[in-house]
Amino acid sequence: MRTFWTFFFFATIFCSSHAKTDNLLDGADLGYGEYLSGECVTCHSKDGVDKGIPAINGLDAEVFASIMHAYKIGDMDHPVMMMVASRLDEEQIASLAVYFAAMPDAN
Amino acid sequence: MVTKFSRRQFTGGILAGTTALAMPSLAFGARPRVAVIGGGAGGATAAKYIAKDSNGAIDVTLIEASKRYYTCFYSNLYLGGFRSYASIGHNYYGLSVNRGVNVVHEWATSVDTAAKVVNLGHGGQVSYDRLVLSPGISLKYDSLPGYSPEMHSRMPHAWTSGTQVQLLRSKVLNMKKGGTFVMVPPPNPYRCPPGPYERVSMIAHLLKERNPTAKIIILDPKPKFSKQGLFMAGWEKHYPGMIDWIDPDTHGGIKSINASSMEIETDLDTFKADAASVVPAQQAGSIAMAAGVTDGDWCPINPANMTAKADPNIYVLGDASVASSMPKSGFSANSQAKVAANHIRGELSGSRVYEARYANTCWSLVATDDGIKVGANYSAGPEKIDVVSKFVSQGDESADVRKATYQESIGWYEGITTDMFS
Repeated sequence: MRTFWTFFFFATIFCSSHAKTDNLLDGADLGYGEYLSGECVTCHSKDGVDKGIPAINGLDAEVFASIMHAYKIGDMDHPVMMMVASRLDEEQIASLAVYFAAMPDAN
Repeated sequence: MVTKFSRRQFTGGILAGTTALAMPSLAFGARPRVAVIGGGAGGATAAKYIAKDSNGAIDVTLIEASKRYYTCFYSNLYLGGFRSYASIGHNYYGLSVNRGVNVVHEWATSVDTAAKVVNLGHGGQVSYDRLVLSPGISLKYDSLPGYSPEMHSRMPHAWTSGTQVQLLRSKVLNMKKGGTFVMVPPPNPYRCPPGPYERVSMIAHLLKERNPTAKIIILDPKPKFSKQGLFMAGWEKHYPGMIDWIDPDTHGGIKSINASSMEIETDLDTFKADAASVVPAQQAGSIAMAAGVTDGDWCPINPANMTAKADPNIYVLGDASVASSMPKSGFSANSQAKVAANHIRGELSGSRVYEARYANTCWSLVATDDGIKVGANYSAGPEKIDVVSKFVSQGDESADVRKATYQESIGWYEGITTDMFS
């Protein structure tokens, strides 16, 4: 799964002129990320196990933020994720990114 | 310059943050108390998040009669043979052992809102500083002429999961060859808007395999229903000629139900069923009525935090609440529970309270590997919960997309039940 996300990360960098990798994590607030994560863990299992929806625990924070920005601008096109990302601003994405990066993955 | 974060640093940050929040209330001695009535998607989630995030600073008691909880969501997939009955059952050990929630397996019979006490069926009491009500629905038997609780065993509603769903499956399996199954969906508003139509899909799936000349008739009190175009296209594709949906303009309304003769009379005709599922109109679970927080059939809430309009110390989650455009679903209840839990912690321990954010997605299975979905996210408006954005599956999607949607729904089931119970 890590390989899968890494592929998307680099695909996003190459395909998008919007990716601003030098400040993706600016304004990150771990406590806020924990609150916002409630919306994610209804589907992305908190155990960090992929049973039909990708695991996101322990994902590199910059990869996480890049993916969310890709959904937000439509470079990645999953209807649920586009909806979720559409109302997240940069600080909210950064907060989620550092929160999930700190969560233990299933391995 | 890219800021580097290590996992160790952030784990430390979480622990330090929660410990600091826990201190003030512990310093005052007695812990604030939260009672939660109902251990479903709303109540179990609220109990868990309050206990987990307060790190022991708030005393949480969950009152739920059942020791084993069978989810309503996915009970249709059990009907269709896609899931085992055991796989939709869950216990409360995780909440008790991992989260320190006091789990009391009792009926809550009344609430003394002045004394802030919940009375239990066997005479005990649970005191609270804040009460979370997540009782789900109760059924309005008198909404259908001739229908009564005694008819459960003949024409199962199967709308509260558990043994009713097992009974319904056995009745479908035992239908005579070429027999007729009649589905009577409830009128709006009700728990799980796509539920009756997913149920029909799953029963059609069973019959197609085992009893392919059988028929299904839907006598609907509503002129339209959730994901109607997607369901009807799916029925035509997978079960051609098997399902007949009859709208109220055509059948003219249900005049009487006779469970002993298995006959349902309408203006159009009297339908004789070999098996049937009859789902009456619904209202908030009876404890919500007893607590005095209902207005009519349901409980009005404040959109910013899910407190009852009738009592600021009571939060109402899930099906029992009037959540405006949010459907009555397990996903909605789970989402509302997190907003309420955050607000309750803020009230009782001074932790940060964030803006309300709500979300819902309803997946339905039409046939093997043919999943569809509808969803939206929401924010708190001044008077009601408002839609921010939404989506729905498209009619022209490929088989691969539909299969991926079904796979996703399996992941969601694992995700939400882990979120609720572990």
